[in-house]
Amino acid sequence: MAPPEAPLLPPAVALGAARLLLGTSHGQRIDLATHRRLHGTVAPVDLDRLVAMTTEVALLGRGGAAFPVATKLRATPAGSRTQVLVNGSEGEPASFKDRTVMTRTPHLVLDGALAVAGALGTRHVTITVHDDASAHSLRRAVQERRDAGRVRVVQRPGGFVSGEVRAAIRAVDGHAPLPGGRRVLPSVSGVKGAPTFASNVETFAQVAVLLSRGVREHASVGDPDEPGTTLLTLWADDSGPVVVEVPTGLALHGLLPGTDDRPVLVGGYHGTWVPVAGDLRVSRPALRRAGLRLNAGVVARPPADTCLLGEVAAVTRWLAAESAGQCGPCWFGLPALARTVDDLVAGRQVPEAAQARAALLPGRGACAHPDGAAGFVSSALEVLTHEVALHRTHGTCGRPLRGALPVPPVGPRPSARHGGAR
Amino acid sequence: MRLEIDWTRCDGHGLCARLLPELVDLDEHGFPVLRTHDVTAALVPHARRAVSACPVLALRLVDPGPRG
Repeated sequence: MAPPEAPLLPPAVALGAARLLLGTSHGQRIDLATHRRLHGTVAPVDLDRLVAMTTEVALLGRGGAAFPVATKLRATPAGSRTQVLVNGSEGEPASFKDRTVMTRTPHLVLDGALAVAGALGTRHVTITVHDDASAHSLRRAVQERRDAGRVRVVQRPGGFVSGEVRAAIRAVDGHAPLPGGRRVLPSVSGVKGAPTFASNVETFAQVAVLLSRGVREHASVGDPDEPGTTLLTLWADDSGPVVVEVPTGLALHGLLPGTDDRPVLVGGYHGTWVPVAGDLRVSRPALRRAGLRLNAGVVARPPADTCLLGEVAAVTRWLAAESAGQCGPCWFGLPALARTVDDLVAGRQVPEAAQARAALLPGRGACAHPDGAAGFVSSALEVLTHEVALHRTHGTCGRPLRGALPVPPVGPRPSARHGGAR
Repeated sequence: MRLEIDWTRCDGHGLCARLLPELVDLDEHGFPVLRTHDVTAALVPHARRAVSACPVLALRLVDPGPRG
């Protein structure tokens, strides 16, 4: 199946300090001259200094796992064989923040990637993306500057699972974009089998901002646990999506208009539903303490007049269709879970049946897709007890399904699992 | 010792559940569900038998090392 055409990017705004989104308020792409005027030139930095700086601002990876950048830098053996991989494979349908960065401010990504590569003593930098617009913008940026001649921009089609870092590495190396069955860290064996520092696009842009502004200015805004800013893709009621740059630590309810009286999805389609935003703050450490993960930064509150259980069912069907088919528990278990959620919508099933199916999934796959899907469904059912009861009693909650959560069309399922012996 | 499954290899043959019912159940699709990854010393011989019986080499017994 051909990949869907790249959607137009949503608006992007900075609330408070604009750093990554500096100068992009009218949606324009920032060329090299403008970039240098806004951000200056990043001086080369040695590894010890980069580790010290990323430690001081507690910089966390912005792809999903929120792994500390300094720890990852220290774990990656430096040397001319070492590879740097910028992962721009944004496969989550509700997320636009990485494509926003790559298309609007590509030189920040290159500044960060080249600084990391320099610190690690290598010139091997690969940027991998799914979509045309990002590939085009990055390739133009590479041509605009003199120091990026060795940077490879690799475009590979792929879905949700292929954004996982090990899947992205395999795609870059020309294999099917699937995570391997044995969990080998990229710092041990990544691109071309070499030690690889791999992280998300936004992480590298944050490194560039940190290097150009210095620790003190970087840490002048945001939560002391994770200072600076972060990018979110916000779907609030009928107004989404919007990519926002916010200082970390901002109250989540402050991003959502009106009364905070409805369920919010934190962390996208591998994330968690909460009954209200309450006193949650947009900070990865603070959310983690509350048992939540920001993942790739998707925050969504569907409008009050849609059938929320139907929205959850539609996303669950899509998650099932996104199973790469490598691992049996995911390939068979996610469609079974999706059917059970459909049955809840039709009032034919009890939530305990869906919870039992979801509980079987975590830890039973090569990647975290079954874990993420299970968390999405099981938290939804905990939050939506009233809706589930209405559907059970009346077969409906009385609200139409509006499709507030974006779900790409679900194509036909391949007839067999990939890999394995079958 | 720690029992691990390479899920990309596992095809749900189910021999592990027969040979190691103390630790392995099967789900409704025939794929193993581990009650725990940790294998006590008493069960290690049975676990080894299950590992060597797996027709697709999906089951592994690994030494987690001093940190595990």
